[in-house]
Amino acid sequence: MGIDRRDVIKFIVGGAVGSTLTPIPWKLTDDISIWTQNWPWIPTNIGGKNEYTPTVSKLCPSNSGMLLRTVSGRPVRPQGDPDSPLSGGKISSLAAAEAQMLYSPSRVRRPLRKTSDGTYKAVSWAEAEAILSEKLGNATGGVGVISGDENGSMNEVLSALAAGFGSDDCHFMPGSAQAEAVAYNQLMGGEGQPAYDFEKADYVLAIGADVLESWGPVVATRRAYADMRPHGEDPKSTWVYAGAFQTNTAAGADRFVAMRPGAQVALALGVANLLIKEGASATGLSGFASLAAQYTPEKVAEVAGVSPDALQEIAKGLASAQKPLVVVGAEGNEGGSTAAAIAGIACNMLLGSFKAVPYPRTVVQGAMGRGDMLAKDVASYVAGFKGGKAPEVLITYQANPVYALPGSIKTKEAFENVSFKVCFTTYLSETALASDLILPVPHSLEMVDDVATPYGYGKALYAVARPLVPTLVDAKHPGDFLLGLGAKLGKDLGFASYQKVLEAKARAMGANWADVSRGTVYVSDSQASTYGVRVDADAVAKAAAVVEVADLTLCPVMKLNFGTANCGIPPFNLNTIRGDELDSDYLYAHLNASTAKSKGVAQGDVVRISSAAGTVMAKVNIFEGVMDGVVAIPKNFGHTAFDEFTRGKGDNVSALFAVASEPGTQASVWTGQAVELKRA
Amino acid sequence: MASKKEFDIVWGMVIDLDKCTGCGACMVACQAENNVPVTKDATNKLRSLTWLLVYELSNGKPFPDHDVAYLPRPCQQCGNPACVPVCPATVTKKDEEGGIVSQVYPRCFGCRYCMASCPYHVRYFNWFDPVWPEGMEKTLSPDVSVRPRGVVEKCTFCHHRWMHAKDKARVEGRDPYALEQMEYQTACTEACPNGAIHFGDLKNPEHTVHELSKSKYAFRLLERLGMDPQIYYLSRREWVRRLGDNYLDDEKTGDFKVVGGHGHG
Ligand code: SF4
Ligand code: SF4
Repeated sequence: MGIDRRDVIKFIVGGAVGSTLTPIPWKLTDDISIWTQNWPWIPTNIGGKNEYTPTVSKLCPSNSGMLLRTVSGRPVRPQGDPDSPLSGGKISSLAAAEAQMLYSPSRVRRPLRKTSDGTYKAVSWAEAEAILSEKLGNATGGVGVISGDENGSMNEVLSALAAGFGSDDCHFMPGSAQAEAVAYNQLMGGEGQPAYDFEKADYVLAIGADVLESWGPVVATRRAYADMRPHGEDPKSTWVYAGAFQTNTAAGADRFVAMRPGAQVALALGVANLLIKEGASATGLSGFASLAAQYTPEKVAEVAGVSPDALQEIAKGLASAQKPLVVVGAEGNEGGSTAAAIAGIACNMLLGSFKAVPYPRTVVQGAMGRGDMLAKDVASYVAGFKGGKAPEVLITYQANPVYALPGSIKTKEAFENVSFKVCFTTYLSETALASDLILPVPHSLEMVDDVATPYGYGKALYAVARPLVPTLVDAKHPGDFLLGLGAKLGKDLGFASYQKVLEAKARAMGANWADVSRGTVYVSDSQASTYGVRVDADAVAKAAAVVEVADLTLCPVMKLNFGTANCGIPPFNLNTIRGDELDSDYLYAHLNASTAKSKGVAQGDVVRISSAAGTVMAKVNIFEGVMDGVVAIPKNFGHTAFDEFTRGKGDNVSALFAVASEPGTQASVWTGQAVELKRA
Repeated sequence: MASKKEFDIVWGMVIDLDKCTGCGACMVACQAENNVPVTKDATNKLRSLTWLLVYELSNGKPFPDHDVAYLPRPCQQCGNPACVPVCPATVTKKDEEGGIVSQVYPRCFGCRYCMASCPYHVRYFNWFDPVWPEGMEKTLSPDVSVRPRGVVEKCTFCHHRWMHAKDKARVEGRDPYALEQMEYQTACTEACPNGAIHFGDLKNPEHTVHELSKSKYAFRLLERLGMDPQIYYLSRREWVRRLGDNYLDDEKTGDFKVVGGHGHG
């Protein structure tokens, strides 16, 4: 029997038909999928009743208004709250990760006390309280406070307690609000907080202020930006960003104008000069016009590197706008020039767009007002610890000075001069690990707190953050704890609980507690009088005179998705960090090709960047969005504390900040830092 | 090209790249909404999972003429998806009203043909079992299943939100296939503080995406491949539009014929 061609074809066809009809391949793929999906644990979805409860973010400096989604009480994630003026239904990259941060591996789970061998031992709250009352009770050498929360009422409890021990050494960590508070409240005779009406602004000039990413209540600002720019239509507003690095704000702006870091004062004076030439005037500016007149476009080009054409165009744009706005801020939102803040306010006065809102009124007896606390210079305070001016007890509250203060201060060493340091913190930060007593603060979704008129917002505002989930760790409300402790030490602050403080605060703001405690945000139209405000032209002239052009200048960059000094880098935000921002363990320093060439370095080279204060190591990323002679380095990397998601990633740019005293204003400044860069 | 399925509803996005500032809020919202796990070394983009990834674009000019833009890139939900025909296990299909390309995880056995075929690199493979820091798994959303090791995943246009919106309409006695634009929005659209992302039915004249997708500033990624993506981008800047299709330096924008046709309009 032979096999002919027909048989072969039959066999092949039969085989093909058979293999299509047989279930075997399908069974096999099914089996493979079962076996490849065999894994040790599968979190099963836990369903239940959905609820969306309004609150406000205390984790993100933008103070996003949020709706926390819970499923049967279990927090899932926050979304933007459409009814909140701080959100408009939108959310920041950091607030979007707030619920997950409840379970951050770096949460402090119980009170910890440092032992004589430097390790930490868990103590009960009763023991912690006993230790702290003993230290405070004997604190003849004074009590100091450093707070990392600029707009909460905890500052009242802290400063009132310190006042009970005869101290007014209560400080904020460096931020955008400070230079302006010193400028406006101390040097210009103004009362209240300068306010920025981004809503309906048709021309915004941001001088170094990263208004679309990290400056002020940025989600609200971005809503105002978006509202004036409907899709598919020509934008109804013009946004100009002047800075040394194409930040996120530059990406959203209609125009990016290159300006050297630290040259804000020169550019603001240059703008004022052209506005005055066009006929703008305002009371309180005597002597200012002749100072501004020196900042001709040519002079501004020389000092700030801003092209004369760009300057003319900006001045024209501002002068012809209906609602123009000038916002001055520092690169990285810290260490900015007070003189620049004065010049910025002067520009807004000339444009008729300057306004101020009252600082939230204090309700705790003896508490310091926000303006007074903002006027305190934390950099010189901590630097003074080494010169015998250390307090006996230092309270840090949701602040991380050991990591974040300028390198020249050598904060960790300065802290060694303080005999007792207590750190109130949610996360195990560098400052916690340099403290004698670590007291866990509940997560922002676990405790009642508030946001009163955040800096950068256009109106007085009051919002309450609510405890929406039970506290997961052995933490106590710091307000309740300190009020109780004060009473025991004979320094009764007049409130039985922190909530009572907030109720009083709501009343003082003009808000109804029942409403705000349910998540409604209170907004008021009250404004602070700007009568009698004047510019000290002499002080500005002195400060502006020292703005110099260095061979290489540092531009620190802050982005909310990198997290903050207080919370580290949230695990959920790591994915947003690009491969040209962080390379496993090296940070990227951004230079343009021509600067890199002049330094003899190329893409990917490991370099050592140093200043009078310190050194950081980084890899070079060539990015043409950096100005000539500038190196841009992101903030919030190089942590040595927190968890595996934060620790050991790159270097800390703050190490390079060297504090200087600004001539004319005497304020501490560290922008426009000259640095050196060499191949490592 | 295989016969293309037509739908009455075509969910799509129009992303305004002149408004996107690259903040990453959309990425974080997406990750939390869809139970995407975290990685310690997330800068290693080969190992991290990002259903939505924001790319930085450059006009390629030296300072001071340099310009930057950011491009959020979800699954393009192609009209002619390259990933569908190559899938041996019928995990990924384009056969449901709305035109969302499906990904049925329990069927996936991880051959990764779809990843190789997708020109937009939107698909991710779970090399490891997903892990969340201890306790963080309690924040997982009940709407989306968690994917194990060995499985490919990608953006689904928050498909579960569509199902919820349809259910709600049904309960209220309305037509689940006649939703208002705001009834079904993806997590990224909802999050974006700049309102850079618009989402809706490209075929429905009452949804803003319908008109916006026809804007003279609208373009799609690698349009010449003929994949017919349901994601449109807008930019007034020509260099941004040109990058969308990887033009040669001396080539003029629009100097080509669209292959595959528009699945909407
Ligand atoms: S983008 Fe890729 S994964 Fe998405 S439909 Fe198109 S080919 Fe498939
Ligand atoms: S949230 Fe909006 S602005 Fe931010 S990266 Fe996403 S699309 Fe761009």
